Amino acid sequence: MTTLTLPSNREEGWRWSDLSALPGFAESAPTGRTPDALPWLECGEDGPRLLFVDGRLDEGRSRLGSISVGPVATVSSHPLGSLAGKSGWSLGLGRDHTPAGLVQIIHVSTGAADHLAAEIALDADAQASIVESFIGEGWSNRLAGITLGKGARLMLSRRILGDTGFVSLTDEAEIGEGASLTITTLAAGGRDTRLDGALTLSGEGAYAEAGGALLAHGRQRHDANLILRHAAPNGVSRQIWRSVADDQAACSVAARVEVARHAQKTDGEQSLKGLLLARTATINAKPELEIFADDVKCAHGATVGALDKNALFYLESRGISPEEAEALLTRVFVADALDRIGEAAVRDAFYADAEGWFA
Amino acid sequence: MLKIDNLHATVDGKAILKGISLTLNPGEIHAIMGPNGSGKSTLAYVLAGRPGYEVTGGSVTFTPPRHPGEGRGPEPQTEESLSGLGPGLRRGDDGKEIDLLSLEPHERAALGMFLGFQYPVEIPGVSNVQFLRTALNAQRRARGEAELSAGEFLRIAREQAAALGMDFEMMKRAVNVGFSGGEKKRNEMVQMGIIDPRLAILDETDSGLDIDALRIVGAGINRIMRKPERAVLLITHYQRLLELVEPDFVHVLAGGRIVRSGGAELAVELEREGYGEMAA
Repeated sequence: MTTLTLPSNREEGWRWSDLSALPGFAESAPTGRTPDALPWLECGEDGPRLLFVDGRLDEGRSRLGSISVGPVATVSSHPLGSLAGKSGWSLGLGRDHTPAGLVQIIHVSTGAADHLAAEIALDADAQASIVESFIGEGWSNRLAGITLGKGARLMLSRRILGDTGFVSLTDEAEIGEGASLTITTLAAGGRDTRLDGALTLSGEGAYAEAGGALLAHGRQRHDANLILRHAAPNGVSRQIWRSVADDQAACSVAARVEVARHAQKTDGEQSLKGLLLARTATINAKPELEIFADDVKCAHGATVGALDKNALFYLESRGISPEEAEALLTRVFVADALDRIGEAAVRDAFYADAEGWFA
Repeated sequence: MLKIDNLHATVDGKAILKGISLTLNPGEIHAIMGPNGSGKSTLAYVLAGRPGYEVTGGSVTFTPPRHPGEGRGPEPQTEESLSGLGPGLRRGDDGKEIDLLSLEPHERAALGMFLGFQYPVEIPGVSNVQFLRTALNAQRRARGEAELSAGEFLRIAREQAAALGMDFEMMKRAVNVGFSGGEKKRNEMVQMGIIDPRLAILDETDSGLDIDALRIVGAGINRIMRKPERAVLLITHYQRLLELVEPDFVHVLAGGRIVRSGGAELAVELEREGYGEMAA
């Protein structure tokens, strides 16, 4: 076993992270116990289904379809992403191809550390929608390398459930001309997270979106760090994050938009909003713009606050209990982020997970 | 139905209500008039239980008739159905007095109290339909009644919106968002019609309404609340609404006290002569 080398909090990009539990997971042995009920979504046509238990494919409960499992070419210099290694799953789609149905991947962690890489390469005009669900109790570390050809479209929706443990996701993407990538992440369990994304809009008129809802209670830590690079003209990017922190929990979102000198007519928008449900909770929001082009529209906003007391009283005066009123307003708050999910079945499932958190 | 006895209240440490006593019996409509800053809205908020409005003396008891009337109500509460219900709610049927001030705002609502807001609140992202269905079912659950299905609820909501001349499409929009001042007030009355309360406290429901809207709102108040088992506390500045909703009693509030009470003719006198001497 190799020694685990982790970034320190003294590094700017890691100052809000708490990685202290990771060495413990790295030394633990997995229990291998998989729950009988798995959170597969029932929606229309059956697509590929992959079940990874502690990073290993459970062939009996998987249906690969157009996905292959084995060595992948994805490489990363990211401190956690680089641990993911060189094997995992890959989805390669030729021109105009679309897999039948939604691609569903469930990652179960049974108490130890597991690492897995993914390679997603969509050729011109290919389309895919992938839902990844993370459950269990250990450390799941993932790296995804994404390449989208001209006009390709990928929707990647992640939900991080499970009661304890840690999930780290590193996404690195190259988005070609007129291609579109939407990554939506929901953290609605009891696990800590570290989410990193470096998405490059390398073709003209590309679209990139990275956002989600981070819900935290107890002493939980969610930490998202996104860089969206506009390297070509006419690109559009959106980063819509909604954080909710209760108790002594902390949610942090650092989102950066970089616009290269020749990436004129870039249209970027960042909206980082935080909701504190307790005075003892923490929300960090760090929107950053680094713009070298001169004809660019980049809107950014970051707000942190509590629930509107007038709205709470209005709801209560109509007979809604304080708890229900709070849940209703909180649900509305995160809706901005979850409404970005295109498929109704996926969106509904994510809403149900968020509801479960509020309950 | 509502007995306010020597009620004192402060807001931000400042005494606003300085000994109000008032009794509302079933079937009565009471109007409260008075100059700005006399404590009218404070009285409404105190009765509804708004946080920040601190009662420093006196009592308020509520003896609600069984909720609701007219055929869509449940069976009377029995000892069996009463078990497990929240505080206060178990006493709705036995005619005993309930200490209103000991209840949370939502519990007061479930007992049949409705506050019509002077400044209705906007709630982006929550539709009127969703809001009211959630509210009505929360009240019904608290009273031990069965929840309404989506279909049953929509039928009532459509009926009430139509009765108040509100396009049902507006009910599908976010609560009060983008509504004009008049539309917000009309929406308060649609809400009252749907919730079907026993006691309504209407805080300047007439302000911001044009003459036609005022007529519709006035007719709404009469239709929904002018019943033997209901009562209304109507806070207003103007006599015009009182021509449409004729009060049984008119009270003048000044300096945190009721300085004069009378019948409907008092409103006419006030309109003619102003508060001048009374408020002094």
